Amino acid sequence: MDKFITQSPISKQIKKSAILSMNLPVNTLIIGEQGVGKKLLAQEILPNSTAFYAKELEQLIISKHIDLKEYSSIIIYHLEDVINIDEFLQHLTNIKIVATTNQKLTKYNTIFAVKIEIPSLSQRNEDLQKLIEIYTQEALNIYNLSKGDIDNTKLDLNGNGITLKQSIFKHIVLQSMSQKDILSILESYLYKQLQKNKTYKELLSIFEIPLLKASIKAFKSQLKISKQLAINRVTLRKKLHNYFGEL
Amino acid sequence: MFYEELLEHDLNPFILFDSNGKIKNCNSEAEFLLNFVSADELFNLTLEYASVSFGFNKKFIRLQFEKQTFYAILVGYINEEEIVLRLYKEVTISKPIIIDENFQEANIFTLIELSKSTVLLDKDIQIDEFYDISIPDIKLNINEFLVTINNIFEQLNNISNISIKVYIKTGEYEIIDNKKYTIIAIEFSSKHNIVFDTHQTNTANLNIFFNKNIIRLEIPMII
Repeated sequence: MDKFITQSPISKQIKKSAILSMNLPVNTLIIGEQGVGKKLLAQEILPNSTAFYAKELEQLIISKHIDLKEYSSIIIYHLEDVINIDEFLQHLTNIKIVATTNQKLTKYNTIFAVKIEIPSLSQRNEDLQKLIEIYTQEALNIYNLSKGDIDNTKLDLNGNGITLKQSIFKHIVLQSMSQKDILSILESYLYKQLQKNKTYKELLSIFEIPLLKASIKAFKSQLKISKQLAINRVTLRKKLHNYFGEL
Repeated sequence: MFYEELLEHDLNPFILFDSNGKIKNCNSEAEFLLNFVSADELFNLTLEYASVSFGFNKKFIRLQFEKQTFYAILVGYINEEEIVLRLYKEVTISKPIIIDENFQEANIFTLIELSKSTVLLDKDIQIDEFYDISIPDIKLNINEFLVTINNIFEQLNNISNISIKVYIKTGEYEIIDNKKYTIIAIEFSSKHNIVFDTHQTNTANLNIFFNKNIIRLEIPMII
């Protein structure tokens, strides 16, 4: 994805601010949690500028391996990583800066005349839905699938777009697996566990837990499960008891 | 007679009220002050700071009426018929504007819009705008202007309604380097009183005036 998503009213306003600040000779600070789209927005404000990680740029300045006169504008990611931000920014006084940070940094109000705060994805439902659509399609294309069911309740939004993408890809990967793939993964996993001297009984849970979970989901009652799996009801109850808390 | 002359020429306003709040005597500085603030308001202020019994009461408080700020107030009465108010003027808050290389051309409406859309991003505030769109792009210190407007919006972000008025002040000019410039006023007002600290806005080239429910920023129209 190469564009800041603007499906929600709040992100439309953010994009509008970015466009308004593009041609102004002022610095912009983009604030937000991990994965909310700070980098994409920075690149939209300064599409042709070089981007640096703050820590990396700080090192280049200290070691004098950069000639800042060559730059009229730059993008700086993770400004909060710099040890002495005041001193760092003093080196950049004649350069238009668009910086990103996950901290408020209120001290720098006069240096950054434009401050854009991007809310988390959970507060931008329209953007979230669009991203789910984009990432699902991307994953389906990669794994050559025509359809994939995404359970929205299982999506991880802790890291906004980053963890969202990871959880969608994980969903699609799991759906794309053949029996051969599963056996291959299990073989690899079991091999590692055997190196740790695990016994047959200990490793059996790897097979039994998913089987019992799927059975509960499919048949609900223990009677039906025991009938379908063709095992004794007492045995089934014993196993459900053993795995209590994991099912 | 000599003392009356002295008071008349004093740089600080002096007003003598009768017991009903009617002005019995005042100097020319007080006359100027009465252009911004009503006699009733000043009389109420006088009563508020009057000593409990006959005598004089001096308090160091900061008062601002439009462009004038005062750092102290003196209220005195020696009988039931008359009471005197004297305000001590702070050095003018209007600062001389210095045009330097940081002055660049910009559209002030765009700058206001940018500040509004970033500072009040998720705020539910009703904003009424009254803009004189005939105002052209002007030269100003863009960074300083944005920082100031941001600060004003930040201080107003708990208010449910704001009116923003941008207009040219008729009959008032700013003299910079012997050149006369028309003044553009950007006025932020609310139906209710505003809590605003002008000291929080550190502006070298902009003049800010605050009175009850109006914050006014004045900038010269340098084209």
